[in-house]
Amino acid sequence: MMNITPLVIYAAAMVAYGWHFTERNPMVGRTATTLLIFAALAHTFVIGMLTMDVGHVPVAGATSAISTFVWLLALAYLYIELTTDERAMGVFILPLLVSLQAIPALRPGVEDLAPVLQGPLFGVHVSSLLFAYASFALACVIGVTYVLLFKEIKAKHLGFFYARLPSLQVLDRMNHVAIVVGWVFLTIGIIVGAIWAAQAQGGYAGDPRVQAMSLKDPKIIVALVCWLVYSFELFAARRIGWGGRRAAYLSTLGFVIVLLNFVPISYFFTQSHNF
Amino acid sequence: MKLVVVGISHRTAPVELRERVDFNVRGVREALVALAERGSTREAVIVSTCNRAEIYAACDDAKRTRDDVARFISDFNEVPPAEVAPHVQELVDLDAARHLFRVAGGLDSLVVGEPQILGQVKEAHTAAAEAQTVGPMLNRLFHSCFAVGKRVRTETGLGSGAVSVSYAAVALARKIFGDLRGRNVVVIGAGEMGKLTALHMKTEGVHKMTIVSRTMAHAAQTAEAIGGASAAPWDELDAVLGAGDIVITATGASAAILTKAHVEAIMRPRRNRPLFIIDIALPRDVEPAAGEIEQVFLYNIDDLQATVRENLARRASEVARAETIVAEEVDKFAAWLRSRGAIPTVVALRQRFEAIRRAELERLDFKLATLPPEARMRVDEITHLIIEKLLLTPTEQLKAIGDAETVGAYTEALTRLFGLTDDAAAAAPRAPATGAAQQDAKVEPFNRNRPRSGR
Repeated sequence: MMNITPLVIYAAAMVAYGWHFTERNPMVGRTATTLLIFAALAHTFVIGMLTMDVGHVPVAGATSAISTFVWLLALAYLYIELTTDERAMGVFILPLLVSLQAIPALRPGVEDLAPVLQGPLFGVHVSSLLFAYASFALACVIGVTYVLLFKEIKAKHLGFFYARLPSLQVLDRMNHVAIVVGWVFLTIGIIVGAIWAAQAQGGYAGDPRVQAMSLKDPKIIVALVCWLVYSFELFAARRIGWGGRRAAYLSTLGFVIVLLNFVPISYFFTQSHNF
Repeated sequence: MKLVVVGISHRTAPVELRERVDFNVRGVREALVALAERGSTREAVIVSTCNRAEIYAACDDAKRTRDDVARFISDFNEVPPAEVAPHVQELVDLDAARHLFRVAGGLDSLVVGEPQILGQVKEAHTAAAEAQTVGPMLNRLFHSCFAVGKRVRTETGLGSGAVSVSYAAVALARKIFGDLRGRNVVVIGAGEMGKLTALHMKTEGVHKMTIVSRTMAHAAQTAEAIGGASAAPWDELDAVLGAGDIVITATGASAAILTKAHVEAIMRPRRNRPLFIIDIALPRDVEPAAGEIEQVFLYNIDDLQATVRENLARRASEVARAETIVAEEVDKFAAWLRSRGAIPTVVALRQRFEAIRRAELERLDFKLATLPPEARMRVDEITHLIIEKLLLTPTEQLKAIGDAETVGAYTEALTRLFGLTDDAAAAAPRAPATGAAQQDAKVEPFNRNRPRSGR
């Protein structure tokens, strides 16, 4: 139930961001930001309450992980908006926040922390991956806006996005930073996860989920595919001079894979990550 | 008090006349002083730009002031009245206010939405404030028009989008590169056109500017004319282009000097760094197919003109929203004007109180005579303060009333209750200029709603 309040405020912020994007009324823009700040605060409160309630940060199950991811993404976006004073990206981020937050709002409840999950390594594993995914979400949105603006300038038809988005170079730079940050956390998350799994196989070898932790599990294999995509993007940017539109497309592809791994695979396919 | 505007603008007068009716030539300040000496206006502001010369004035007799200001315009600029008169536009009260608001919002400009006019109107107001020819009326009017200008800029797209080719090129460069500082500009061709665009880029603070021409001497000349630019010989073109971010081509060559293959070769070592090519030459200097290369943005003069046309069309569609803002602010100003209807009553009320105080002090003079002079002064001071305190709230309340009907009802009630003479209340607006100005000045300390002076 509690996750509904932030959802409602996120939805209100989404409407305000959309309105601001089309009308460019500064008052509406400030309202949108204020609403998003309130949504993030409400969300913080909800997560805080759940943490106190169950005695650990609720990130173990797919549903609570999504809620925490939404919260992190909202904070990361707010940080970018407040530091760059650039509000145009909100209209792309908010629909993502709202649709993902709908899942925990519709499937409430926090799973108990299985004994196998207790320990610092698990916390590092989950929090770095959630942070990496939030970065990738931002990179994807920045990439999409880059392509929209790029196409307008190339087509010599300077219109809707031209008037509303920051410059191509700024978008390209922001995309690159988001990918670098995301890649670092993704790498940490995967390495820590592997170490943790190796330890768990010593102590909890009887757990079927621990037994399923191998490269054959879809969640794990897709996570590695993800890592390969982003590693290639960084390599291509450094070595072949790929950037701009190609980097934007790769960011979008990468995030589609992340989402796939995050929602359908977590719920329906994985044998190892269904806590 | 009446509000009038008298003047000429690009809508009413040809440029030949506007050139001769320019208050900046002989000085706006001098004009304001000369106009004040004529005594037909109580307050005045002169807005004089290359597209308009308008005098905004507050006065008691609109007809007389209109005629006199029109005559002043021709006198001061030494243009025969017969030549000016057919082009003079005159507006009174709310029509005058609406006109100024439309001017400040850029709606009355030759290029609708151009941003300079608001600054020019602000300067006009500052000049008048320095010459001490503005009072409560024009102060309020001009501060309202600044609000209109600001709202139009932030709430509508009226001022957005470049409407000249060179500005469109700079705006595009900013959309591609963000900040232009630290960018390298290459100008190919030493002609006048290339020089102009380069100068425009220079004001944006670009890092380095290189001129390349087939004749090194021409390139050096142009570089010197621009200032802070360097010249490079023709055979270094590829190296210069490799380091450039923005390329302006404006040669007189009859065939393309940059082919697609040539640009591709330049792009290869640049990797992902974008190249913005502005081809303002006719015939074109760059093969159009070069624009297909991934990070090459190629715009020729026609493309830039097309974006300018699009921007103009978009501005036109924003006019209605700006007009709504103007209408809203005119309503606010009208409400303020109506609330000023209470001022004569306030003045009469004050005079009545003051008269009673003086009479009582005189009557008791023989009793107070025994007091030391300092105590007598205290008595005077205290009684004065009591009156001020008593009148503070009623004055504020009266001035806050927004509609003429309520003002009338209050005026009548006060006139009866305090036995104010009818003519004291009614005559004030038509009082001679100096007398009324003093009365206005007297009530100023009570007026908390006065707009702040300055910005």
